[in-house]
Amino acid sequence: MAPSPALIGVITAVAWFCGFVAVHIVGWRAGLSNARSLLVSYMISALGTLITVIALTAGSKTIASVLLAVLLAVMTSACLVILYVPAVYTVLTSLSVQTLIMLRRAAGALPEADLYDHFADRSIVEGRLATLVASGYLVADGARFRLTSRGRKLAKIFRFIKRFWNLGAGG
Amino acid sequence: MKAICLATMMTTVLLLLVTLTFRLAPAKRRARQMLLLYITCTAALVGVSLSTPDDLGFLHRSLLTEPHWLDLALVLFFFTAAFFGGILQLYNLADRGFSLRILIDALEDPSGTIGIEQVMTGYGGGRGIAWMYDKRMRDLLEGDFVLRQNESIVLSANKSWIADLFICIRHFLRLDSR
Repeated sequence: MAPSPALIGVITAVAWFCGFVAVHIVGWRAGLSNARSLLVSYMISALGTLITVIALTAGSKTIASVLLAVLLAVMTSACLVILYVPAVYTVLTSLSVQTLIMLRRAAGALPEADLYDHFADRSIVEGRLATLVASGYLVADGARFRLTSRGRKLAKIFRFIKRFWNLGAGG
Repeated sequence: MKAICLATMMTTVLLLLVTLTFRLAPAKRRARQMLLLYITCTAALVGVSLSTPDDLGFLHRSLLTEPHWLDLALVLFFFTAAFFGGILQLYNLADRGFSLRILIDALEDPSGTIGIEQVMTGYGGGRGIAWMYDKRMRDLLEGDFVLRQNESIVLSANKSWIADLFICIRHFLRLDSR
């Protein structure tokens, strides 16, 4: 018995997503670990998913079955990527994870002051500001950094969420 | 299609519950509070999914998912992704996002700019960069990932595998060799 269009949609999305992860990991190992390479490889995977699902379900009885398969494929792919991206950034940027790694490499213990010297240090701030400039959220303005319109929009959205959820200063 | 409808409905309910809880009865450990709400909503979602007809009373036959087990699997997957990849991430970014807090500090500065010294001493609405790390250290201590012994921080024996796992991942991805 042939699989249903819905099942074809889900399996296709998972297969293309696995391909995306494989390409992303290979790119990462080759030094292409920026957000643009992640986005481009994911867009190719999403496009491949769409084309494959349409091609495989085109012979279905109704157009609604094809649309359902496409919708489930898009949803499955989107859900997989929103689970994958935070995991990637945890590996890349989490200071808590970096603290655990630093402790492990120091035989499991370090003076608290050493950790603060390392993670509450000027170089961490400089690095993060440089990343924000490279990502287009800040622009250098003499010795300071000015918000770009993109950075201003993002800051306003998250300031609203913080206030709406009563999260306090945060950060 | 039933999976999409039910997952969307329950995600909206969860978002409302999280908002109400944060505004009316915030706990010290909000992520744990959110997780409890997610588990409760997941149980309710399974109940709703099993007790409602495949067409939910309004879906056209051609929009019914075959085989039947796929609907329940997808509704759980979509809802789980919406929580862990959506709502929980939004909370993490809003409450703990280092870069986002820098952007908000710049937004709240009258000049609309920010400097390195300002981040060092005024990060987080005037608290300073040490406070940023205090917060992470406090979470690591509360989660028993590390222990404080005299003036040192010690990796918990039963959580050291997490550090090993991240070391392996970073090694495999060649992140530390650049």
